Amino acid sequence: MTKIVVVDNHGQFTHLERRALRDLGVDTELIDNDTPPEEIDADGVVLSGGPDMDRIGASAEYLEADVPVLGICLGMQLIAEELGGRVEDGDYGGYADVTVELVDADDPLTGRLHPETRVWASHADEVVELPDGFERTATSDVCGIEAMSDTDRDLYGVQWHPEVAHTEEGDAIFENFRDICEAA
Amino acid sequence: MVDTETFVPDAIDEIRAEIGNANAVIALSGGVDSSVAAALAYEAIGDQLTPVYVDTGLMRKGETAGIRDTFDYMDSLRIVDAKDRFLDALAGVTDPEAKREIIGEQFIREFEREATESDADYLVQGTIYPDRIESEGGIKSHHNVGGLPDVVDFDGIVEPVRDLYKDEVRDVARHLDLEEVVAERMPFPGPGLAVRVIGEVTDEKLEVARHACHVVEDELEEYDPWQALAAVIGKATGVKGDNRVHGWVVSVRSVESRDGMTARAQEIDWETLQRIQSRITGQNDNVARVVYDVTHKPPATIEYE
Repeated sequence: MTKIVVVDNHGQFTHLERRALRDLGVDTELIDNDTPPEEIDADGVVLSGGPDMDRIGASAEYLEADVPVLGICLGMQLIAEELGGRVEDGDYGGYADVTVELVDADDPLTGRLHPETRVWASHADEVVELPDGFERTATSDVCGIEAMSDTDRDLYGVQWHPEVAHTEEGDAIFENFRDICEAA
Repeated sequence: MVDTETFVPDAIDEIRAEIGNANAVIALSGGVDSSVAAALAYEAIGDQLTPVYVDTGLMRKGETAGIRDTFDYMDSLRIVDAKDRFLDALAGVTDPEAKREIIGEQFIREFEREATESDADYLVQGTIYPDRIESEGGIKSHHNVGGLPDVVDFDGIVEPVRDLYKDEVRDVARHLDLEEVVAERMPFPGPGLAVRVIGEVTDEKLEVARHACHVVEDELEEYDPWQALAAVIGKATGVKGDNRVHGWVVSVRSVESRDGMTARAQEIDWETLQRIQSRITGQNDNVARVVYDVTHKPPATIEYE
């Protein structure tokens, strides 16, 4: 069975990421973000959201673990910051309802949602500069970079919360990520 | 989703195996989680279980009577009237976390006494999966998780619904034929109406909150909200019968949600909102105005404190 672990960066919705994966029939567990990657045997990793970049533990080490990674909210921001992109306090916080425009219909993570989807978000900061190797895959009125992908390294990020009930088509993101993990 | 056909017998077997011939207690709040845990445990060990319901004086209208009816079949049920002790402990306290803490501590005191009297070796709790995570994350303190085991020396703690989400617990409640009011009832916070009055908890504010919550639940039933409530949020001026009043402001909130983690403020028609306003201001001399909260979660939470 495909196994995808959720690295807990102390986000409010982290346990819903576990639930979304569990409901897909994926073998999953929530792990403490201090856990070294070499102790984990998984086909994919979700880096959860959270309140603070100073509390991401060993999250960055998972980017070197040679399995697909999906960063959600702060999880996406830490990927950007770690790999040479830039994160800043946005002008306009994204809370609750946001309409996201998908700009790449062929992206393996978000393409299926093209041309647009309604999501639920909760963030003040945002990625303002992509790291090398990444493409912007989604955008919105309140946040320039809503999602990003590096399909060569299988590293992905979404700024919104696909795991919460109010995000339409949130399950599709987890299904797509499962497919990415199974193909890798 | 949980498979209730297998979950229920498995949970009952597990409780029976764990507790055996010993005695156990459970704190019944009237909410779905503790009701389901109590029903499962009672099924497993019968009157070896003492369900304890503490009437904190912070309950909704008719709540205590409802509990008495629903759990009448449990001969060992104890109902404790602790209203005066809770209000004394809360006098003068305005900080939201301090209020929660005091209520938790008083609750433990009441429960400790009952647990000792019933000679219980095991504690049964209705902790659900998000309670465990939210307590770790420190967003809000949940009084059903911490505290109790530190003051009472139990042999073990049994949490039969620890891996379930709220909507799954409701499925189990329906499967157990717990009356519709329990299976479908709205979530109600552990600290009760205390978090629906901002600032100090007083008898006067509680009366307003209790009546207003009743009106809101009654009027909004057709909207089938996940949670609908009213909170006393401050004071403002009004004019009633040619007299200027400095009265309470009541905020009405109604949201739809799957699991309480995110929520959407409901769109309520103007006539219904006006009827709510009229009933609350008309029947409470000390209420000056009624407002409707349009904020989703996030950025707001569902409850006010």
